[in-house]
Amino acid sequence: MNRGLISKAVHEVWLSTLLLAVSIALTELLLIYILQLFSREMSDTWLRVKIVQKMIQGLLGTSVAGGLGGDVMAAIPWVHPLILILTWAHAIALCTRLPVGEIDRGTIDVLLSLPASRTRHYCCESIVWFVAGAAVITAALIGNAIGNRLFSPDAERGVLPSIIAAANLFMLYLAVGGITRLISSIASHRGRAIAVAFGVVFTSFLLNFLAQSWPAAQSAASLSVLNYYQPLAILGSGIWPVADLATLAAVALALWLAAAVIFTRRDIQAA
Amino acid sequence: MSVIRTEQLGKRYGRRVGVERLNLAVPEGSVFGFLGPNGSGKTTTIRLLLGLLRPSAGVARVFGQDCWKQSDTVKAQVGYVPGDLRLYPWLTCRAAVRLLGRMHGRDLTDEGAQLAEDFDLPADLRSGSMSRGMRQKLGLILALAHRPRLLILDEPTSGLDPLIQEKLYARLRKLASSGHTVFLSSHTLGEVQQLCDRVAILREGTLVADETVHDLRTRARRTVSIQWHNIPQEYENRSPEFLDVHERRPLQWRATLTGSAMDLVRWSAGQPIEDLSIGTPDLARLFQQYYADREPAE
Repeated sequence: MNRGLISKAVHEVWLSTLLLAVSIALTELLLIYILQLFSREMSDTWLRVKIVQKMIQGLLGTSVAGGLGGDVMAAIPWVHPLILILTWAHAIALCTRLPVGEIDRGTIDVLLSLPASRTRHYCCESIVWFVAGAAVITAALIGNAIGNRLFSPDAERGVLPSIIAAANLFMLYLAVGGITRLISSIASHRGRAIAVAFGVVFTSFLLNFLAQSWPAAQSAASLSVLNYYQPLAILGSGIWPVADLATLAAVALALWLAAAVIFTRRDIQAA
Repeated sequence: MSVIRTEQLGKRYGRRVGVERLNLAVPEGSVFGFLGPNGSGKTTTIRLLLGLLRPSAGVARVFGQDCWKQSDTVKAQVGYVPGDLRLYPWLTCRAAVRLLGRMHGRDLTDEGAQLAEDFDLPADLRSGSMSRGMRQKLGLILALAHRPRLLILDEPTSGLDPLIQEKLYARLRKLASSGHTVFLSSHTLGEVQQLCDRVAILREGTLVADETVHDLRTRARRTVSIQWHNIPQEYENRSPEFLDVHERRPLQWRATLTGSAMDLVRWSAGQPIEDLSIGTPDLARLFQQYYADREPAE
């Protein structure tokens, strides 16, 4: 670890992380409020519309034809596209900072002329990303807990299932970060790296979504990182989904390591 | 002892040659000029020395350490100013010195403040609000504050006003006299002539010259201007063998001295010459010959 590199990275990401953490907490709060407000209308009206039913089913990974029960209502704030996009945006923004972001803005020469190995640069940047990601997911958890306490006081579910769901979301965050780091390590333009990372993650989302209603996509669903993100099952059982968490962690770690190897060996061309 | 030593160093970008079979030795305590036209491989060499590029062949060593495999230990002793300097928009002089101090594990506040004062740079102005020249000063402070044993400077004076340039030259001379080494890539020949002890010239990725500035000066041609009182008949259509006359006016010659100055002096004593002037050695012309696709005449 290097104090200089850590403080430089913190200086550059703290404000955007704080804003995003506040946004995600408020979004959780707002979603819970809206869902409680319109739960009856959703069950009675919206769920009769086939496409809406399919969409919720696609997001949750299970059928909602039987209506919106307590677990389903509690799971929606964890799988809502807005929450997913905010967390992914944070992971992608932070994981494209080094090396591609530095190459793109031409500051890599100054950065890499500082007395630290590329491995150290990469590790310091990753530590900041990990902690910032944990802060964002914790903010989501806090927003969810406050929302449940304020707008859904009758729910008997304890806080542990929400913590497990947040841990699952964090592992998903790390896996998306791993994918992005790999792209970042080989790219030279940040805009393109961000576009490709979003493309890969969106394809993964689409694959998981389609697998709920299209048998042809089901066989490929295991390739999607979202296949290992199951808040509904967690909130229903309160059990740690060890296999899913381990799969996402393994994906994140493998891609993070691959990106590290590429970054430490690649040529850094003049801007 | 050589601070920088490259052995058969090569870098290819696909089929394009960056540098090829480069053998350089930069002595400690010298100011070493590194010249060449655009695309000759100067920046590639510097990036190889800093471990930003991996050699395709050979090895580059700084202080005896491999620039690729031990780049972090190499960089601890090096200060670098890139040719196309880009800085973080939030970076101030104070923040830069603090960051550098943390990286080197020592307090550089005093050195940074002294440099900022010398270069006349405000301590708390953000790089995003600075002019190009001010950013260049900040880059120099980042490179100099930790008093590195080796300074690698790629076009360091671009954007600097003449006063600051002089201050930088004085600082570089002082550093070199106290045993530090300066590796200077520059297009400004005056700067090279004024500062450097030794010069290497690259062309199309290959080293075409590596000599002391003193040796270059002795080899460099001098321009000669002769004002005749009247031109003797024998010189109306010819000239002595040690003069290459390239401009013949009725009573005036402009020539390049191809022989020794003594030959010229002896010859001129017996000629009806009104005025004779001999210029300083024309290093610029010599460099241009190296830059062009032909070897300079001996």
